[in-house]
Amino acid sequence: MGEPVRVVFTTGFSRRYTGGVREFEIEARNLRHVIREMDVMFPGLANTLEEETTVAIDGELYEIDFTQPVKEGAEIFFIPKIEGG
Amino acid sequence: MNDSTIVSDSVKRFKWVGTRPIRPDGVPKVTGRALYGADLKLPGMLYGKVLRSPHAHARIKSIDTSAAEKLPGVKAVMTAADLPQQKFDYIGPERVAQNFWHITRNIMAREKVLYEGHALAAVAATSASIAEEAAALIKVDYEVLPHVIDVDEAMAPDAPLLFEDMIPRGIEPTPTKASNISKRLEFAVGDVEAGFKEADVVIEKEFKTAAVHQAYIEPHACVAKYEADGQCEIWSSSQGHFAMRALTAQIIGAKIADLRVTPAEIGGGFGGKTVAYLEPVAATLSRKSGLPVRLQMTREDTFRGSGPTSGSSMWVKIGVKKDGTIVAADGIFKFQAGAFPGSPVMNGCLCAYAPYDIQNQRAVGYDVVSNRPKAAAYRAPGSPISAFAVESVIDMCAAAIGMDPLEIRAKNACHIGTPTIFGPKHAHAGYAETVQALMDHPAYQVKLGPNQGRGVASGYWFNGAGESSATMQVNADGTVLVATGSPDIGGSRASMAIMAAETLGVDYNNVRAIVADTGNIGYTHVTGGSRVTFATGMAVVNATKIVIKDLCRRAAVIWDVDPEGVIWEDGYAKPAGLNVGDFKPLSLREIAAKAAATGGPITASAGVNAGGQAPGFTTQFCDVEVDPETGKVTILRFVAAQDVGRAIHPSYVEGQIQGGVVQGIGWALNEEYIYNSKGQLDNAGFLDYRCPVASDLPMIDAVLVEVPNPAHPYGAKGVGEVNICAPMAAIANAIAAATGKRMTELPMSPPRVLAALSA
Repeated sequence: MGEPVRVVFTTGFSRRYTGGVREFEIEARNLRHVIREMDVMFPGLANTLEEETTVAIDGELYEIDFTQPVKEGAEIFFIPKIEGG
Repeated sequence: MNDSTIVSDSVKRFKWVGTRPIRPDGVPKVTGRALYGADLKLPGMLYGKVLRSPHAHARIKSIDTSAAEKLPGVKAVMTAADLPQQKFDYIGPERVAQNFWHITRNIMAREKVLYEGHALAAVAATSASIAEEAAALIKVDYEVLPHVIDVDEAMAPDAPLLFEDMIPRGIEPTPTKASNISKRLEFAVGDVEAGFKEADVVIEKEFKTAAVHQAYIEPHACVAKYEADGQCEIWSSSQGHFAMRALTAQIIGAKIADLRVTPAEIGGGFGGKTVAYLEPVAATLSRKSGLPVRLQMTREDTFRGSGPTSGSSMWVKIGVKKDGTIVAADGIFKFQAGAFPGSPVMNGCLCAYAPYDIQNQRAVGYDVVSNRPKAAAYRAPGSPISAFAVESVIDMCAAAIGMDPLEIRAKNACHIGTPTIFGPKHAHAGYAETVQALMDHPAYQVKLGPNQGRGVASGYWFNGAGESSATMQVNADGTVLVATGSPDIGGSRASMAIMAAETLGVDYNNVRAIVADTGNIGYTHVTGGSRVTFATGMAVVNATKIVIKDLCRRAAVIWDVDPEGVIWEDGYAKPAGLNVGDFKPLSLREIAAKAAATGGPITASAGVNAGGQAPGFTTQFCDVEVDPETGKVTILRFVAAQDVGRAIHPSYVEGQIQGGVVQGIGWALNEEYIYNSKGQLDNAGFLDYRCPVASDLPMIDAVLVEVPNPAHPYGAKGVGEVNICAPMAAIANAIAAATGKRMTELPMSPPRVLAALSA
């Protein structure tokens, strides 16, 4: 494994689900790995991430799709889903 | 077509993308033959009528439907008691969290009515007049309660409570007293207080905006046919028939597979038709009567019973240096959610400063319930509201330091890598290009006369993506059918056909695009969030690529060569090289004619969960003239530049920009709900709720700035929403330039402007 990815949550989300910790460094090559690793640290978090968040990988927004690749050293923000008109 | 300009890298590279073919839905619409939600009539169909509350807030002591049930011709009567109980639980993502305990009560009131127009019973009868008569026979015993409409008044400690047990979320420590505040949100980056200390000029101001309706031309309508075996078919006008299916199934307690929803032609939605109001009611009446039931809202019902966007109360403070650098921005955004929690305040917070590179930002939001219809999405939900406040204060800052309003925006423009208040860095350009497009626009240099002023504003919207499905079929004569699950509101049939024709290399006129029902296409999210051309377009291109691969395989079968020896080029299968053999290229038509012999029907489906969408940016300026005697504001000129990625069908893109600007002009100048002292709406119709008409408007000059999105096969970005974010502030800024008076409350109607001029 190379450089880990940096996973970041909003303040409100981290208060609710990760004990206030906003940033994590984990080894992952796709979103499935990211979500699984987070679920290992915080059991049950995977469902919340899948259902409640949109993910920004190096600024690019994606809906949660396990197969989405993440590059070494990528910055991964989980943000609340957005509704349009 | 107007005289809009396209600032483009290249639209010449494509044969069909970037052209303006005739819209496929045009003839049925202009000849009056298109079938909208209220046009379907089935044998034995009944006519439904919903009874609505005359009170803004009242406890329901009893509902007696016996007299209505006895009226000859009445076949079914229903109340909330006919719908299953729903669990109190916020399900799904924060902004779009659905609480079916709330949703079922919005569709049909239970313990209380929470706004005038709140549905509380419905009947189905053999004629519309009998249904109306029966609804009037339903006796409701109310205990009328004090009501509250205004968001600031609803937040007051002594305000009448809509829910006696609602404890605000997001406030620490958790309050112990119930409130109309459903939720508090806070987003921040940097150190706002430290940022303001660096500023040479700090300006703060309070603002209010009115709730405005989406004002789609076609009121909500549907027909439901519920069979004895539990199978139910629904035809309805909505922005998403899959969403209507899911919502209806949950509300009536049915299995999703037992419902089939067919999308009617839709006469506008703008976000307001992502909500189910009638479908579960029509399905229930049909189940009870055993006959098909049609329900449709009147215009008055639409105003009283369906969602507007939020009204708001806001405070914004911005600090700038003399060189124009914005060093800090702070804001409190209080949004009316209507009768149930769920305003777009989170979006308002996230979008407020998004076009700018500001090191220190904070946005605090409040979601507040009050006695008016539940807010529904409206074009870039939330963003136009906060933009009105933020873009007004930026204009004041520019004036205070003597800087041109486009210059200050160019100086602080976000770029790729600029951090956002919600965390990630911007990954796409496009904003600075819209500012530059206006700087280069000749009209920006035109001198203005007395009582005239020019105003500038910008806007940001995320744009959506997500799940979409498409199917392609090649017919025996070589024509092509493209089916998607996206209701066509803004021209998606044309853009889907263009992208399919471009990818396949065939004539656009040989491609027919349709919208398929839930039984004939894979799941597709709503047509909303400016997502369809991007996401459904990807599904169409993917399905087309599968078909192309199959066509190459079939050509290989015909030539008896290896499939790898065939390529697809300009609508023909060709040998990949001289070593494959000397074969005359095969057209789509020639291969289609041999479909049976080469493996059967030529068809492919594709589903995507699209990502990588780029946000929308707009910058706009307008020139206004203010009549000092009446306060009337006349729009003299309106120029709207928008980053559109690549315009697949430029006429539709211009139409989206013009439509968004016009709705913004209405929001700015005239549109508002006028309530009487009892909390009843006094202007529930287009005569008194004043939308702009053509004679109010100049031609809106749409400037298409094309910064293609590499994540999309043709560079498309969502174009439907961001255009409504800027007009309110642009007009307020123009009025300030014309009169020296800063308008801080919408609408800036003649009486308000006159009062400001007289102050």
